[in-house]
Amino acid sequence: MAPQPPLLTMSGITKSFPGVRALDGVDLEVEAGEVHCLLGQNGAGKSTLIKVLAGAHQPDDGEITWRGEPVTLGSPIAAMRLGIATIYQELDLIEGLSVAENVFLGHEPTSAGFVVRGAAARTATAQLLERLGHSEIEPARLVGELSAAQQQIVSMARALSHEVRLIVMDEPSAALDPEEVDNLFRIVADLTAEGVAVIYISHRLEEIRRIGDRVTVLKEGRSVAGGLPAESTPTREVVALMTGRNVEYVFPERPTARFAAEREPVLKVEGLTRRGEFAPVDLELRPGEIVGLAGLVGSGRSEILETVYGARKPDAGRVLVDGSPLRPGSVRAAVRAGIGLAPEERKAQALLMLESVSSNVSVSTLSRFARAGWIDRRGERAATHQAVRELSLRPDNPDTAIRTLSGGNQQKAVLARWLLRGCKVLLLDEPTRGVDIGARAELYAVIRRLADEGLAVLLVSSEVPEVLGLADRVLVLREGSVVRTADARELDEHRVLDLVMEGSPTS
Amino acid sequence: MARTPATSRRALLFGTAAVSAGALLTACTSNETKDQEPAADNAPVADDKPGKQVTIGFAGPQADHGWLNAINDNAKSRAKKYSDVTLEITEGSNDTAQQIGQIETLINKKVDVLVILPADGKALTQVGLKAMRAGIPVINLDRIFNSPQAYRCWIGGDNYGMGLNAGHYIGEQLKGKKNAKVVELAGLDNLELTQQRTKGFDDALKNYPNIKKVARQAADFTVESGQAKMAQLLQAQSNFDALWNHDDDQGVGALRAIDQAGRDDFLMVGGAGAKSAMDAIKAGNSVLKATVLYPPTMAASAIDLARALGQSKGVSGLAEFEIPSSLTLYSAVVTKDNVDQYLPTGFI
Amino acid sequence: MTQPATAAPKDAPTSAAESAEEKGSSRLTALRWDVRTLSLLGVLAVLVAVGGITAPDEFLATSNLQLVLTQASVIGVVTVGMTFVITSGGIDLSVGAMVALASVWATTVATQDFGFAGILFTAVIVGVGCGLVNGLLIAYGRMVPFIATLAMLASARGLALQITDGSTQVVTVQSVLDLGGRDSYVLGIPPLVLIFAAVTVIGWLLLNRTTFGRRTVAVGGNAEAARLAGIDVRRQRLYLYLLSGLCCGIAAFMLIVLAGSGQNTNGNLYELDAIAAAIIGGTLLSGGRGTIVGSVLGVLIFTTITNIFALNNLETAVQQIAKGAIIVAAVLVQRRSPHGDA
Repeated sequence: MAPQPPLLTMSGITKSFPGVRALDGVDLEVEAGEVHCLLGQNGAGKSTLIKVLAGAHQPDDGEITWRGEPVTLGSPIAAMRLGIATIYQELDLIEGLSVAENVFLGHEPTSAGFVVRGAAARTATAQLLERLGHSEIEPARLVGELSAAQQQIVSMARALSHEVRLIVMDEPSAALDPEEVDNLFRIVADLTAEGVAVIYISHRLEEIRRIGDRVTVLKEGRSVAGGLPAESTPTREVVALMTGRNVEYVFPERPTARFAAEREPVLKVEGLTRRGEFAPVDLELRPGEIVGLAGLVGSGRSEILETVYGARKPDAGRVLVDGSPLRPGSVRAAVRAGIGLAPEERKAQALLMLESVSSNVSVSTLSRFARAGWIDRRGERAATHQAVRELSLRPDNPDTAIRTLSGGNQQKAVLARWLLRGCKVLLLDEPTRGVDIGARAELYAVIRRLADEGLAVLLVSSEVPEVLGLADRVLVLREGSVVRTADARELDEHRVLDLVMEGSPTS
Repeated sequence: MARTPATSRRALLFGTAAVSAGALLTACTSNETKDQEPAADNAPVADDKPGKQVTIGFAGPQADHGWLNAINDNAKSRAKKYSDVTLEITEGSNDTAQQIGQIETLINKKVDVLVILPADGKALTQVGLKAMRAGIPVINLDRIFNSPQAYRCWIGGDNYGMGLNAGHYIGEQLKGKKNAKVVELAGLDNLELTQQRTKGFDDALKNYPNIKKVARQAADFTVESGQAKMAQLLQAQSNFDALWNHDDDQGVGALRAIDQAGRDDFLMVGGAGAKSAMDAIKAGNSVLKATVLYPPTMAASAIDLARALGQSKGVSGLAEFEIPSSLTLYSAVVTKDNVDQYLPTGFI
Repeated sequence: MTQPATAAPKDAPTSAAESAEEKGSSRLTALRWDVRTLSLLGVLAVLVAVGGITAPDEFLATSNLQLVLTQASVIGVVTVGMTFVITSGGIDLSVGAMVALASVWATTVATQDFGFAGILFTAVIVGVGCGLVNGLLIAYGRMVPFIATLAMLASARGLALQITDGSTQVVTVQSVLDLGGRDSYVLGIPPLVLIFAAVTVIGWLLLNRTTFGRRTVAVGGNAEAARLAGIDVRRQRLYLYLLSGLCCGIAAFMLIVLAGSGQNTNGNLYELDAIAAAIIGGTLLSGGRGTIVGSVLGVLIFTTITNIFALNNLETAVQQIAKGAIIVAAVLVQRRSPHGDA
């Protein structure tokens, strides 16, 4: 590309943790001013690689050169001094500090070496935010009061507050709306125009096509392809490199016999309302049916799910299971009536991260394995083992620590929890978030199979193809209201996106 | 957790001594006093005959344990004895700021004399000075102010003397015994008075070359700690001849541990003069043979002094016209021989 | 049933690599847990060796073993309750005050009239009552445990003072006093130690083998996830503080037996001793993991240190320094356990 050496080269990087080799010879070359996409399934080694690059992990072997000079990234500070900034997926901001304080944390502008010049920091922050196209964020506001998307912007401002030459972004679009993703891409384009290089990690292939220059694919700790042109490499080839097979968004077939319509609805929602979140919602869910809620972040889709589940208390309306109304605002009533929820934030809302798979699966069913409070551990293990196997969770040893599982398998553990409980209605909120492509197909198949066995499923997803591909019926939401209810086969992605965005102040 | 610091705690639960005020006055007249003979128990107060009316303001800490209760009771009953004394007593407080406020109120009321047992001597020095400057003489009770200018007269117990007398008593009991061993169960170690009691004890033992102190552990004036520390001491020392326990309250626990260990091969001397300790001494069926006093009757004496000051009189039995500026009380040793005399004032 | 494209397994290597990124496998976890317990046993063994060398005759005597275990019993029972509370992500600062209140309430003249049963019953009921108040405030009054139990600490101590007026209430019920004597030993084991052992065993079973224990861990590990899994988190919290109060009531009775009296200063700083023992034992202060065995070992370590220092006639100041050093060392060792690295 250029006469001078690449901005960054990493060659033969290896890194082992007790028992496993996380990186097994990774090569990566990044030029100044390019968007270099890093692809790979969960566990392929992406996180380890960017931690090496950020100075958070020390490689066992391999060489790193920076603008032609060999360097050692001995600590996060060393990496920062070179001009490498990392924006982690789980944002590392301090909620109790203001935007400006977060941006300049650790390198505050000072007088006499220790007196923080707050006004100077706020001015500089305002400039950075303006550069990022978000001058509406006030530097003096507390970060905890900002939305996830705004926090992402603050993180980026923090990266830019250093003299930066390379920014690593780990799934930056995961928490963003399409509109915000557009803005993100605009920022990335501005940065690269200034000669800053970006390493961009994402699961979304279409994003990579839009902004990527080159792609490096990781698989099982190795770089299996480097420097592929992002625009022209066929999707199938990329997927094949990542998985070793050709899979992309494969949805199970819908049952041919449409028996569901004749059955009595198992779940009825009547006029359910929460002011400021969603207008009165009515819906019916029959056994064997998958109903999808499509909408943007903030359209009220997750809120509806959580209100049905009793985790939020409705202002009006009611939820009936098999014709009997549930006590509003009571999770226990919902669970007892046979509703289960796989929440959006798996780690924060569903999993006991210190515990085994078995404990996580049995947590809603404990009393079944207990006599007078005494747990029959053998029975518990046998039952969880069976549930885990039914969902092809791997490894299928229920004693495995849950935190060692991949996202997809953790999600299966949550599903197994409700399967074991024998629930009638399953609420799925973003079931494939953080799940890699290969594992998604498996999850889809599992969900469809559960429906075929008589479960009613209410699905929320921000990925329209997912809703359309998996659901039988779709409710399209905009700003808290249902704008369209239709058979999934009558809709296509463009139509849904039109409905979702119609009238909104987007371009 | 507000807890009374300093003196109150150790003083707590000391049995009361029936030593008459006059005896005390004649007995100890200076801080250095160590080894006075106990006074003859003769003439009590300056003059029982009604004189000029005197209003005495009394401010003490919260009576959150027996010894302080006894202080209040002694002051009240003494004042009641005199038809010419009006006692203005404040509600006790352990809060320095609150106590200062109470004393300032008494100053504003223009009482004739103030008796102050401060929650914290150092912290209340200023208000003592203020009273003195306002022309109100202050009797400082037990916990001493920082500056002698803040009081006209200080009267209080003698921690060094407690240790000294305990040491002498044990020394006499073990006279002639070769290689005698003594064990000390001290009070809360970070208090100065504990150090003083230990020093007095050690100084006394120097007079008896046949006796050696083989162990010392500090409890914290509670029954629970007394039991725990004593149990350890008993385990550590399979035989010794005498035990000096700084405080009868923790002594309840210590006696319990001794009982549980089934030991009776030594004699024990307590400190304070709790009724339970005196009962045990009188019964004579336990290892407890004596206790050294830290008398709450000092409050009664303070009232006497305040009245004398208010009436501009001296104290009978002394040649001086003025009452002394400092009175350190004698820590008498209560044994089976004299326990009947002290028993009525021992309290729970 | 299943549709075509699902495709065959391929997740196994993925999860292996993932575990590398997040570190540790279940087997390692189990191993580490054992290492922690073993290291505590190691510390105890070192202490025993030190005691045996510095005071051979006194330390290794049967009577000393009885003494150490007896001294550990009261705080040990309190620590078992505390372990549950901490495992659930809470804290109980009021344990010492509850012990004090229960011990003085159970030794008032009026209570002593009812004899052995009256004292035992009163101590337990007062403990449970205080725990109930704590639990209601925290679970249903939505107060932070630190604040609610701090308030209980202050008021229970105050009430204890009011009941006693500061004086020591000596127990006159002979059967209670006898329980602390040598004649009551069962096969050489003091009854208080037997109570401690029973509470430990029951506590272990409760935490590790029952739904109650599982729910405690779930609430401490992720209260939100527990709630969404259908666990009644509030009721669980109520029970936990009730349990802590119950343990304090039992401990108060044991203290009455041991000291032959009740006093408002009883249980001084028990909250700190119990928290320290639980933490060095390996219970996570942030909740989600608790170990009764570790807590008991923690108590025994502290008691043994005190014993060795007393036998060697060392000062209180030195004992306190050693205690602080042990806490720091234990927490440093724990740092090397599964998390804390990201």
